[in-house]
Amino acid sequence: MTTDINLTVNGTDRTATSVEVRKTLADFLREDLGLTGTHLGCEHGVCGACTVLVDGEPVRSCLMFAVQAEGTTITTIEGLGDRDHMSTLQEAMRDSHAFQCGFCTPGFLMQITALLDENPKPTEPEIREALSGNICRCTGYESILNGVLRATGAEVPASAASHH
Amino acid sequence: MSQQTQPQPIAQRFVGESVKRSEDFRILTGTGNYVDDIQLPGMLHAAFLRSPYAHALITNVDVSEARKLPGVVAVMSGADLQAILAPGAPSPGFFGPAPVKFTILATSKVRLVGDPVAIVVAESRYIAEDALQLIEVDYDDLPPVATSEQALDPTSTPIFEDLGSNVIAAPTTNTFGDVEAAFARADRTISAHLTQHRHQNVPMECRGIVGDYHPDDDTLTVHGSNQGVGIAKMVMSIQLGIPADNVRVLCGDIGGSFGLKIGAAREEIATCALSKHLGKPVKWIEDRNEHLSSSGHAREETLDAEIAVTDEGDILAMKVKMVVDTGAYPGMGAMLGGMVQGMIPGPYSLEALEFEFAATVTNKATYVAYRGPWAAETFCRERMVDIVAHELGLEPLEVRRRNIAFQGDKPADMITGRSLIGSTARESLEKAAEVIDVEAFRARQAKAREEGKYLGLGMATFIEAAPGPRGEGGGLGNEQMRMRLDEDGTLLVFTAQMPHGQSHETTLAQVAAEEFGVPFESVKVVVGDSDQVPFGFTGGSRAATMAGGASLHTARALKDQVLEVASHLMEASAEDLEIVDGNVGVKGVPARAKPLATLVAEARQPGKLPEGVEATFEVTRNYDGGKGGWSSATHCAIVEVDVETGLVEIERYVAVEDCGKLINPAVVEGQVRGGVAQGIGAVLLERSAYDDQAQFLAGTFMDYLLPSTTEVPRIEIHHLETVPLDPDVNFRGIGEGGMIVAPPTLCNAIEDALSPFGVRITEQHLPPLRILELIGALD
Repeated sequence: MTTDINLTVNGTDRTATSVEVRKTLADFLREDLGLTGTHLGCEHGVCGACTVLVDGEPVRSCLMFAVQAEGTTITTIEGLGDRDHMSTLQEAMRDSHAFQCGFCTPGFLMQITALLDENPKPTEPEIREALSGNICRCTGYESILNGVLRATGAEVPASAASHH
Repeated sequence: MSQQTQPQPIAQRFVGESVKRSEDFRILTGTGNYVDDIQLPGMLHAAFLRSPYAHALITNVDVSEARKLPGVVAVMSGADLQAILAPGAPSPGFFGPAPVKFTILATSKVRLVGDPVAIVVAESRYIAEDALQLIEVDYDDLPPVATSEQALDPTSTPIFEDLGSNVIAAPTTNTFGDVEAAFARADRTISAHLTQHRHQNVPMECRGIVGDYHPDDDTLTVHGSNQGVGIAKMVMSIQLGIPADNVRVLCGDIGGSFGLKIGAAREEIATCALSKHLGKPVKWIEDRNEHLSSSGHAREETLDAEIAVTDEGDILAMKVKMVVDTGAYPGMGAMLGGMVQGMIPGPYSLEALEFEFAATVTNKATYVAYRGPWAAETFCRERMVDIVAHELGLEPLEVRRRNIAFQGDKPADMITGRSLIGSTARESLEKAAEVIDVEAFRARQAKAREEGKYLGLGMATFIEAAPGPRGEGGGLGNEQMRMRLDEDGTLLVFTAQMPHGQSHETTLAQVAAEEFGVPFESVKVVVGDSDQVPFGFTGGSRAATMAGGASLHTARALKDQVLEVASHLMEASAEDLEIVDGNVGVKGVPARAKPLATLVAEARQPGKLPEGVEATFEVTRNYDGGKGGWSSATHCAIVEVDVETGLVEIERYVAVEDCGKLINPAVVEGQVRGGVAQGIGAVLLERSAYDDQAQFLAGTFMDYLLPSTTEVPRIEIHHLETVPLDPDVNFRGIGEGGMIVAPPTLCNAIEDALSPFGVRITEQHLPPLRILELIGALD
C-alpha cells in the first residue's frame, strides 16, 4: 500500500508520491528525499541518532512512519547550516572537538537544537538530562557538553588537563 | 647570528596544537559519506535469515516460497551460496585462513544464535525482510556448549567437527625466571579466580557493505566500513575468485569500530558474492539486533592468579592460568595468549612468571578485537595488586610504589623480555597520587562511612606497546606512506590508516604540514581507496607513531626533492633553500620566494631541469617506527556506592597519561575520555548475556545498556611527556589505553568502597543487582 506525502523539510515544500505506508520517516528522509545526514543507530528508539525536529519537537524518526509526517514541518541536520555557513551550534561543536566518528552527531545536534529552543541557557545538569537519550560511543560526552555550553556563551569548564 | 633586517615568515607550528578537525565540516553538516549513504543505480538490498538456535543440525532449507515474493531477486541457502564462491577457498579467519573449516552461510549446522543461514536479495530491504519470513528451515537440536567449562569437557559435542573437541588452543604453559624459587621464598601466596565478562564494541554504525560487481570486466568495487581496505580486498579476492587487481575497496566515513570491522565478515562476503552472481550492486546494512547477536563479542575470559609476596608487599612472582571463550567462529581469541603473557608483568619488577593459556569454542558469537584485546593482563595484575594490598593490610598505592620498576641508569626489562626503556609508569603513579591526595581521601572516606556513605578510591597503572620500544633486531613492522605535491600546491597524503573517529585527516596533516612547510589547509589526507593508499590498517594504537612518523619522514623526503628541483630553478644550493608557508625560497629572503604551484609548473616545462634531476613531486617511504616507546598511564577513580540501590556514582576520575609528544591534545583527550567511558560501561552496564542454553539475551539497547551523559563524569587528564627516545618521532598511541585501564580502576574503587562489608571483587561486571548481592542485601 502506498500514498503521497506532502511536507516541509528544511524550509522547502516536498511532495513524494507512492510512498509505502509502512516506511519509517527515517528511511523516507534518507531514501526518498536523499537526506542521508539523518542516521540510523538502533531502529528501536533508544540511541537517538535518527532524531529530527517535527514541528519543532525532537522525534525519533525510526519510530515514526513517513505518512504520520503528512503536513508537518521537519528540520534535519542538513537544515542547520552548510560547510560555509555553519550555525553557532555547529561552530561551537567544532571548536570543542565535540565528536569523533560522527555517526551519532546528527541526532545530538537536533536534540540540542530542541533543548536550546526551549532553554537557551541550560546548566550542565540540564544539558546532561536533556541529552541522556542520545548515545555517543566515542567521546565520553564531555566534549559534547562543552560544545553546548560554548554555543550558549556559557563558560566552558577549563580542561583539567595540564602538561608537564 | 646576523641581525634580521626584515620580517621573517615564521614556519608554522601545527604539532602540539589542538587544531580544529578537517573531518568536522562533513560530520557537523550531515554531509559525511557513510556506507549506508551509498546509493547506486539498480542497487538491490540483502537481508539474512539467522538461526534462533545455539547449536543444531540443519536438516532442510526451503526457499521456494520466498523466491516467489514479488520484488525478491534471489534467495540462497548456505549450500546455494557455497556453489557461487571460489572453489577451495579456505575458511576466512581474523587475518588469514581459519584453523577450522566452515562455510560462509551455515550449511550443515548452526553454531550460534544469529548464525546466518540464508540470504535474500530484493528490491528493498523491506521486501527482503518480508521474504525471510517465508523461508522454512528444519533444525535438529544439538546440545549447546554455553561456557568454557563445558567446552573443556571432552564429552561436549564438538562445534567444529574437524577440531574434534571444543578446545581450539590446548593449555600451554610458559615460564620466565625461576618460578618455584620465587614462590618458595615468598611469605605468602595470594590467589583469586578473576573473570571478565562478555561485552562488545557497539559502534554507533553497525556493519555494512555495498558490493558492485561488473561482469563485463570481472571487477568488483566494494563500498565498506572497515579498518583496512587492503585486507578486505585480499579476502574478497580469495573468497570470490576475482583477481586481486580487479577488486577495489572504498571506505568513506566510518561510524566507529573499536576493533570490530577488520577483514571481511561472512555476511559481507555473501553480499558481494550475490552482487557478482547477479551482476548488480547489492547493499547489506546490519540492523542493531543482528549486530548485538552476531557481529562479535569480546573479553569473556577467566584468570586464575597466584601471587607470591613478602609480608612487606614485595610481589615476587605470578602464576596465571587464562582461558578465553572464543565463541563459535574463529576470530582473534586464540591469538590472545601471547599478547596477554607478554604484557602481564606491565611496568612491575617480577622475578618470575608462569603463564598458562587455553582457548575454547562455544555456541556464542565470535571473539573479536575490542579496544585493547589483551586488556586481561591489566585487569588481572591491577586487581591482584589491590587484593594483595588488602590481604596484607597495606595501602594499594604503597604496593604499587614498592613494585613498579624504577628507571635507573639501566632501564629495567620485563620478565617476559621487553625493555621498559622510557616508561613513565612510576611518574604517572606519583602524579596521580599527588593530584588525588590519597591521605586526604582516606580521612574523608572514614568520615563518610560514619554517615553511612561508602566512598572508594581505586587506582590502576599500565603500559601499552604503542608501538613499544625497538628491541634488538627491530620488530615494529613498517608503515608505508605516499605523498604527492599537486599542480596547485596541495600536498596529498596517501595513508594506510583508515580512520573511524581518530581524526587522522587532521593529525597526519598537522605533521605533514609542519614538516613540509605548507599551511595546514594545503594538506589533503587521502584514505579509504585500495587503488590509492598503501596496504595497512588502523588498529593496535599504531597510528600515532607509525603513521605520524611516516608522515614526518615522507614529508621530509618530498621536501628534499622539491628543494633539489628548486636549487636548479632558483640558482641556489638546496641547503640554502627552504619551504615556508607554501612558498619556496632562499632562507632569509622571503620576498623572492615563489609559491610551490609555480615551482611545479616551471619544473614541468621542457628543458628547465638538467637530466637526472627527479621532479616527480611524489615519494613513497616505509617508516620502521624509529626507536618506538611505551605509552603508559595511571588512572584513579573515586566512587560512591549506594548500598540501598547498588548504584555506583563516579565522583571523580583522573587520568595521568603519557603518549609521548602530543600531535593534537584535543584529539588525545578525546581518545582517553572515550576509552574511559567504554570502561565505565563495561563495569557498570554492558553485558552480552547468554542463558545456560546459549540463548542470546541482549539483542536490543534495552538489554545491552550503554553509558550515557548521566553515567560518564568529566575526566581530568594530566599529560606527561616522556623523555624522547627518537631524534624525530616521539608520538605514541593512546587509542586503546582508557579502555584497558578503566575497568580495574573502577573495580578497585568499588571494592575499596565496600571494604566494610568484606567484599572481595573478582569479576568485572558490577551492575546494581550484583553490588547488592555482594554486600548481602538480597538475602
